[in-house]
Amino acid sequence: MELNIELTPRTDIPNWLIYLTPVFTVVAALFVSGIALIALGVNPLQAYNTMFIQTVTTPFGITNTLEKGVPLIFAGLAVYLPLKAKLWNIGAEGQLVVGAIVGTAIGLQVSLPIYALLPLMIVAGGAAGAAWIAIPALLRAKYGINEIITTLLFVFVAQSLLNYVVRGPLRASGANFPQSESLPAAATLPGIPRLGDVPLGLLLAIALVVVTYGIINYTRLGYEITFIGANDSAAEYAGMSKLKVYLIVLMAGGAMAGFAGVSELSGVQGRLRASFDPGYGFTAVPIALLGRNGAFKVMLAALLFAVIFVGGSSIETVFGVPSAITSVIEALIILFLITAEFFKQYRIDVSIDGSYSTSASGSPEGDL
Amino acid sequence: MAGLVSGIANATVNASTVLILAGLGELISERAGVLNLGVEGMMLVGALSGFIATVVTGSYWIGLSVAIAAGGLMALLHAFLCISLNSDQAVSGIMLTLLGTGLTTFFGSTYSGDSISGFPEATVPLIGEYLLEIPILGPALFQSTATDYAALLLVPIVWAFLFRTNIGLELISVGEDPETADTMGVEVFRMRYLAVVIGGCFAGAAGAHLSLAFNQIWSAGMTAGNGWIAVALVIFARWRPSRLLIGAYLFGLLNALALYTQAIDLTLAPESAFASTLNPVIEFVMNPTIMSTYPYLVTLLVLTITVIRAENRQLAQPSALVQSYSREVD
Repeated sequence: MELNIELTPRTDIPNWLIYLTPVFTVVAALFVSGIALIALGVNPLQAYNTMFIQTVTTPFGITNTLEKGVPLIFAGLAVYLPLKAKLWNIGAEGQLVVGAIVGTAIGLQVSLPIYALLPLMIVAGGAAGAAWIAIPALLRAKYGINEIITTLLFVFVAQSLLNYVVRGPLRASGANFPQSESLPAAATLPGIPRLGDVPLGLLLAIALVVVTYGIINYTRLGYEITFIGANDSAAEYAGMSKLKVYLIVLMAGGAMAGFAGVSELSGVQGRLRASFDPGYGFTAVPIALLGRNGAFKVMLAALLFAVIFVGGSSIETVFGVPSAITSVIEALIILFLITAEFFKQYRIDVSIDGSYSTSASGSPEGDL
Repeated sequence: MAGLVSGIANATVNASTVLILAGLGELISERAGVLNLGVEGMMLVGALSGFIATVVTGSYWIGLSVAIAAGGLMALLHAFLCISLNSDQAVSGIMLTLLGTGLTTFFGSTYSGDSISGFPEATVPLIGEYLLEIPILGPALFQSTATDYAALLLVPIVWAFLFRTNIGLELISVGEDPETADTMGVEVFRMRYLAVVIGGCFAGAAGAHLSLAFNQIWSAGMTAGNGWIAVALVIFARWRPSRLLIGAYLFGLLNALALYTQAIDLTLAPESAFASTLNPVIEFVMNPTIMSTYPYLVTLLVLTITVIRAENRQLAQPSALVQSYSREVD
């Protein structure tokens, strides 16, 4: 008896598969991480109840989720936009950190009224993020040097720079810990009125999602970005400038990561610390991957990861489980997502005894 | 001064072993066309599993073997995703790092206080005494653990394997041009699997060196970014084992200098004419935190200069790096 496995590229992907993929991904990831929880003697159902149900049904949980969601939406867009042109901004983490450093420096050293200071901080933080990716962007656009590696290298430079400034130039005088002074009130993003502590950054993030959606779907630039992402040599034959589009998407992505840094600093943290950022920039990679079909899906994916972040720290306090379980869940979501992508693209037919099932393989004319 | 120099030499050699091991593994994997950004995760899994095995069995050799196997298993997952399922290599690698970091932090917390007796420092048999007489480098190189020696020996072995054996040349051909290699009868998929898994075994060994020889303890995140430096090192070395050895020592030296900057005062005397303008610059450049960025900056510089200067803009990078291969025409 012989087992045959036939792989056929799908010509069109059925709708149910598109909607089922994210659901399958999350469920499978939670199932496997449940095994890890059992290994530490924790009932996974109770843990997930605390992690998810409690988080999305209590005011405290919702506020926290929205708070964590803001940098994740910005950072998710920072990876999503270049991804539309098939470029990987793996270094959003670095751009985020640099944006936060520059935002803090301005917030502490420039005295202006709040309506001038906040926009200045945001613009400068965005510019810093864009500047931080400028060299990798130029190297990619002009010389074809792989942006995955170069953007990543800049992450580590940014983290060292952060360690340096909180111990050196920006260190608060007399502080026992390496951290900056608190930002003055004029440099603090206020909360949204009547929504408790939800930072105003959320509205900025949503606005940016809408703008990104509009650009990708309704402008000539967006058309060029998706065209180059689909087939870069055909796009060049059609007269599009790869150099221009690559520079724009990467630097715009850097700017968005910079916004993430400023909004986190000014809206949530209030002062710069060496450990202010729990890896939002790296989490942006699975977010962009989950939401790669549209800016609004990026926002949903960012909120999902925000729930995982918040829920992870609550199960740490309730069950005494290391919050590192969130990294495990994140990794498993990526794992099952890329596995599911494969099954989305290929149709798998299994037959026994060497007789191919009749439904296998595409239409005959497709073989030419 | 002599004490300072030998101290720096010692710290350089100490810091380089882990980079040599992890870097060689990444080099083999990338030579076959598969980028693996999961080095940090594989190293952590190697470090913890080797440590647990040593605690349980009492034998650091068993610990090392377990670490190598664990690193290989992690890499097998990456290989399956990237080679069989055509997944994005960067994404899968980041997944591997997240998974390794998460799992080891999650399960390692109960082992973080344990102590083991790991690899002892030893001299080379027979000629060890004479080697120790070599000034400065002698004690740094030849009063080391078995994993240090193994890392040094593996550099020529990997070189000979890649460039002087048929299987090595086939491996390289798969990273350069998988289509042609396939037509020539090379088993592209099998070769890539082999390279990625060997790479993972090396990363596992690098992790074991940290937890069983260098530190002899387990602590969460103990690889401290060395996995990422190893990725940078392979680019710095432009995919050649000999340059990788030089790079590992250079990066190790930068690391060692950062430890010793307090002892070396390079600032100008206050009465010197340029003291007021140059001293802040010197202090910034010699700051230990700033110095930790140099490996990355040097790598970027080498990358940029090589590409811009090369006439055909080739990087000596395996041509099919990051590209998945599938046989069907679509």
